[in-house]
Amino acid sequence: MIMTALAQGSQHGYRIMTEVEEISGGRVTLRAGTLYTALDRLRADGLIDVDRQEIVDNRLRRYYRLTPEGTERLAAEAARLHANATAALSRLNLGTLEVTT
Amino acid sequence: MNDSPELEKRYRRLLALYPRSYRSQNEEEILGVLLDTAREGQRRPGVAASADLIRAAAWLGLRPELPRSAHTVRGAIRLMCIGAVLEAAALVTYLVTASSVRSVMLRTDPAQWPAVLLHIRAVEIGGPLLMVLWLWLAWANGRGKDAARRALIPLFGLTTLGFAFVLATGGVSHSPADLIVTGVVWLFQIMTLVLVFLPASDPYYRRQAARR
Repeated sequence: MIMTALAQGSQHGYRIMTEVEEISGGRVTLRAGTLYTALDRLRADGLIDVDRQEIVDNRLRRYYRLTPEGTERLAAEAARLHANATAALSRLNLGTLEVTT
Repeated sequence: MNDSPELEKRYRRLLALYPRSYRSQNEEEILGVLLDTAREGQRRPGVAASADLIRAAAWLGLRPELPRSAHTVRGAIRLMCIGAVLEAAALVTYLVTASSVRSVMLRTDPAQWPAVLLHIRAVEIGGPLLMVLWLWLAWANGRGKDAARRALIPLFGLTTLGFAFVLATGGVSHSPADLIVTGVVWLFQIMTLVLVFLPASDPYYRRQAARR
């Protein structure tokens, strides 16, 4: 979900938290400790990287972005989930999944 | 943003639990996010936020710093963690079945009982120590400590000797369930040893040694 939050461009920590909450429809609330552990792991795996950093209100703010490998991985995972959802809906006779862009 | 110096001070105390190297790079950034998410007028970190920071600090302190390229070491560390769990299972199985072993021994070969009792006491003391040792080995190998990799050799030697002794005596001091668990632990040790000494693992240990 963090990678999805970064799909449209680089974001800083606080913005990622609010985006994740929005994407999940309020079901997932990330806390700072969890967020930064996940960011650390995603960076170590080469899926995200620091885009830039700036000082706001005397505080360091880093912006994270997806790396090309991260973009590829997110697209592959989204396609896999989409295929699973389509198969489930089709078996339930609810038609195919509409993808809105 | 909540600008309370009191809240900031308390968050800093919690962030002090993080590993020093991580803190030096990320403390100010995380603190900014914590203060951004704090309610207006809040003076103390919430219970959930505090628990989350403590859990994250523990994870960062214990996690192996493995790059994805070191997949053989990663596999070995997983096996070491499973090894600790298996040691616990072996110990529990042994203790649970000890009374039935005792009654069979006293009925069939009472002269052997003192020696078996000594063995049971050794397992009771050695079992928890082995669990701790497995966890330490996982932690130290995760940090690329070559001594921890080499320490697996005598450990495997001892386990093999112990296992061979049990088999040579016809498994008299062990129940069948305990023999199976001990055999599985032994197999895990072989796999762990092979993984850490594969040529693919060498660059990781060399790189970590060079960094120190």
